[in-house]
Amino acid sequence: MKTLNRRDFLRTSGAAAVMAATPGLSYSQVVGGGGDFDDYRALVCVFLFGGNDSYNMLVPRSGAEYTAYANSRQNLAIAANDLLPITTPGLGAREFGLHPSMPGLQGLFEAGNAAFVANVGPLVEPTTRDDFLNGSVALPPQLFSHNDQQDQWTSLRGNTQSKTGWAGRMADLIRSGVAEQQMATNASLFGANLMQAADDTIAYVMGPGGPVQFNGFSLDPDSILFEQRAAFLRVLNADYSSVYERGFTDVQRRAVEAADTVTAAIDSAPPINAVFPQGQLGLQLQTVARLIAVRDQLQMKRQIFFVAAGGFDSHDDQNQDQPGLLGGISEAISAFHAATVELGMADNVTTFTQSDFGRTLTSNGDGTDHAWGGNQLVVGGSVAGQQILGNYPSLQIGGPEDVGGGRFIPSTSADQYAATLAKWFGIPDVDLDAVAPNLSNFAQRDLGFMIA
Amino acid sequence: MTNKQWISLLAPLVLGLAGCGGGGGGNSEPPPPTPPPPITKAEAVQFLNQATFGPTDADIENVIAVRHESWIDNQLARAPSLQLPHVQSIAPPQFQFQLQTDRIDIWFRNALNGNDQLRQRVAFALSEIMVVSHLGALNNAPYALADYYDVLARNAFGNYRDLLEEVTLHPAMGVYLSMLGNQKPNAALNIRPDENYARELMQLFSIGLVELETDGSIRLDAQNQPIPTYDQAIIEGFAHVFTGWTWAGSPNFPQARGTQQNQVVPMELWEDYHDSGAKLLLNDVVLPAGQGGEQDLAAALDNIFQHPNVGPFIAIRLIQRLVTSNPSPGYIRRVAETFNDNGFGTRGDLGAVVKAILLDPEARPAMPMEIDGKLKEPIVRVTQLWKAYNATSNSGRYPLLAAYILFGQGPLQSPSVFNFFSPFYAPPGEISNSSLVAPELGIATEYQNTVLTNFFFGQVFGLNQTNENRQDDDVYIDFSEEMAIAADIDALISMVAEKLLGGQISDPLRNEIAGMLERIPETDTALRAAEAIYFVVTSPEYAYQR
Repeated sequence: MKTLNRRDFLRTSGAAAVMAATPGLSYSQVVGGGGDFDDYRALVCVFLFGGNDSYNMLVPRSGAEYTAYANSRQNLAIAANDLLPITTPGLGAREFGLHPSMPGLQGLFEAGNAAFVANVGPLVEPTTRDDFLNGSVALPPQLFSHNDQQDQWTSLRGNTQSKTGWAGRMADLIRSGVAEQQMATNASLFGANLMQAADDTIAYVMGPGGPVQFNGFSLDPDSILFEQRAAFLRVLNADYSSVYERGFTDVQRRAVEAADTVTAAIDSAPPINAVFPQGQLGLQLQTVARLIAVRDQLQMKRQIFFVAAGGFDSHDDQNQDQPGLLGGISEAISAFHAATVELGMADNVTTFTQSDFGRTLTSNGDGTDHAWGGNQLVVGGSVAGQQILGNYPSLQIGGPEDVGGGRFIPSTSADQYAATLAKWFGIPDVDLDAVAPNLSNFAQRDLGFMIA
Repeated sequence: MTNKQWISLLAPLVLGLAGCGGGGGGNSEPPPPTPPPPITKAEAVQFLNQATFGPTDADIENVIAVRHESWIDNQLARAPSLQLPHVQSIAPPQFQFQLQTDRIDIWFRNALNGNDQLRQRVAFALSEIMVVSHLGALNNAPYALADYYDVLARNAFGNYRDLLEEVTLHPAMGVYLSMLGNQKPNAALNIRPDENYARELMQLFSIGLVELETDGSIRLDAQNQPIPTYDQAIIEGFAHVFTGWTWAGSPNFPQARGTQQNQVVPMELWEDYHDSGAKLLLNDVVLPAGQGGEQDLAAALDNIFQHPNVGPFIAIRLIQRLVTSNPSPGYIRRVAETFNDNGFGTRGDLGAVVKAILLDPEARPAMPMEIDGKLKEPIVRVTQLWKAYNATSNSGRYPLLAAYILFGQGPLQSPSVFNFFSPFYAPPGEISNSSLVAPELGIATEYQNTVLTNFFFGQVFGLNQTNENRQDDDVYIDFSEEMAIAADIDALISMVAEKLLGGQISDPLRNEIAGMLERIPETDTALRAAEAIYFVVTSPEYAYQR
């Protein structure tokens, strides 16, 4: 019998080479529709928690449109000549610019690798101001509330009680086509989230720097720490009489099994030269790039990554905080795009933002409050770039989309936004309504910001 | 493998009354009431897991001797262990944020050693409802955070209405949810009051989004839809109420600044910056114009306090933090009714609410069901280990500033006002499919579980009393009692199970530990002790609070 000694325990568990030989864990079920994929595609959701003030991210920079913006925004308006100009061939004489902290994004846009969808947000059906005021259309419940609107964006559930997210539903739809994958289709680097919740598949939650391995476990059958790992797993596999223990063991079991496979793969990733900015978002996107680099080793065909940044709830000190917030997005996404170019995967990876809501055009003195529609960003080699899609509204208080205080009714629904991404991801048109349940309430099923 | 054996945790509270009053026949004197059965150790441990940061032998003996209610009454009377005096006793460092470590240190000292365990546990629960966090602007206000926590501890058994007011006017909350400096509208500049505090006060601290029955169930309208408790117009009404307040002792409103002194003093009103118009509140109440900021505030907080949702709202959240994730409607109703009236006509008596939560039959079910209990919060798993093994450091400090990274949570270290996890979180699978919730599973992700498991690994194998290379601030546990009996594998496992599981250990866990201990030479007593503790402290049954 092997015996343990202290050195075994104090030895760090970095034996990646051993782990590479381990049978991997396939999360996918062997039932369901969909077919094999002959290419690799990844969607990367960058969720901006708190409600990004996206009418200061993408701003009209001239004429009456700028004047309306400046009048509404007052001391929170960005000077017209500080805005970074972008070219929008599709919009005639209208001129737009980006927040001055976003030169990286300006470059991506001008190179045709980025597009915006304007004034998009959760809707159940097309909604006018009169509809809203008369209560004549169904609305997403609890507008302007952080968690409820995060849930709307990620679940698209409208006023139903659905418990799954649109990324989770996509993973369920394609599960038979990706049965060989060594890692779950859905991976989060920012904790558990509703977007990736599903009925038949389970998202894998790793840290911002990737999976963490368990200390004191080994996959070398000659090591006593192999026994340690096995005993630990047997404890997890025992019968438990409470739902809480069972829920806990489910996570813990996945953690033990996936950490080794994914860590072994990621440790073998080639160096990536793109320089990522300091901070959580940069680290998460760098990890995503490394995982994309080892996609073949993990036999990945389709992946949806969830990464996020916080701090966007700018009730206070907006003028001080916004450059760092928006600059952080610009730098991290630019670096990530550069990494995908380096990996030869730029056309196979699409990055997109979501956020709780847009913010009020009025100010509370030094900040803004919770609103509804906002502008979202899509980046990648397959993006039909240098475009602003949807209808960018006139930023006038009391305008036709304003339900009060400069809160704009979305003119494009989050369902349409998600469905456009889902179609590119490989979801057949017939299944798009399962991904975006209210899609059929809107005329345009594809917003046109993805090159097929 | 066998199912974990459940033992009957408590004989029924109501004993055979039907038999006494009904068919006994005869006309003899009614028999004296049957004394309740003695409290077992397992029952005492279960109770103390709910009411403290970890059972100690002394507390277990005390609960068995005096029974639950007297123990609670004794705890309700104890003075709070505070944080601010400790933080103020530290010589101010170069940067104020460095004192956050001392704030965390005193939190652990109070959680581990305070004799007001129930108060500390309830204060922590309140800190997860009325959330402020050092992650953000308050990083530079450690005194404010320590004092805010003291407000929670002092009011833990006081009246909810008083708590609401102290929380509202505390500069920590003022900074965190931007009521501090909020001012009346200026139409010419498109400026209107900040809605942040108004919204979160109602959504997260008091009434929630939709109307509730007293038993916590959601009221539905004729179309079977939930009924919102407020709309945007009411948010704006409250936002106007919360104008005109800033740091105390400021020379003027616009240039008010935080100082070491005014961080711990309620905000002050500047009437000139307070909106003087009429304000729409809940339930069609309209505050008259021109009555002044103090009166507006009092009336607005009364308006919220009197809303029928507060009882079930607070009942659910406190029950979830202390006892079970999925209380029955009856349990919620009993506690909410206690909130509504403590038996002496007083609404909002939190001491009575806590007592009702812990003495309810559902807190100690005779026949445990699979949805009773909860997953322990990670930091409670840590404090229970530390209390059981007399954790300390050479310096006497517990400077775990990184608690929120290591455990996924730490004292006043939430990532947002929405707390570390949602009261509604349901992981996909069995729990979600059964329309149950498990809030603590929201942070029990693969990642966070691994980090915590590794923390326990390092604690048990590395930072124990046998390690001679400890740093002064390294918190270490002491398992010398286990080492003394480590030759006897069965006795060793039983000892660890007594300390961490109240003596109830499942056969599979015992067998797996025994199998591992047999591989360790009898002479390596430290490794045997550590191995046994590691397997118990990382086990599902330890993570679970019955």
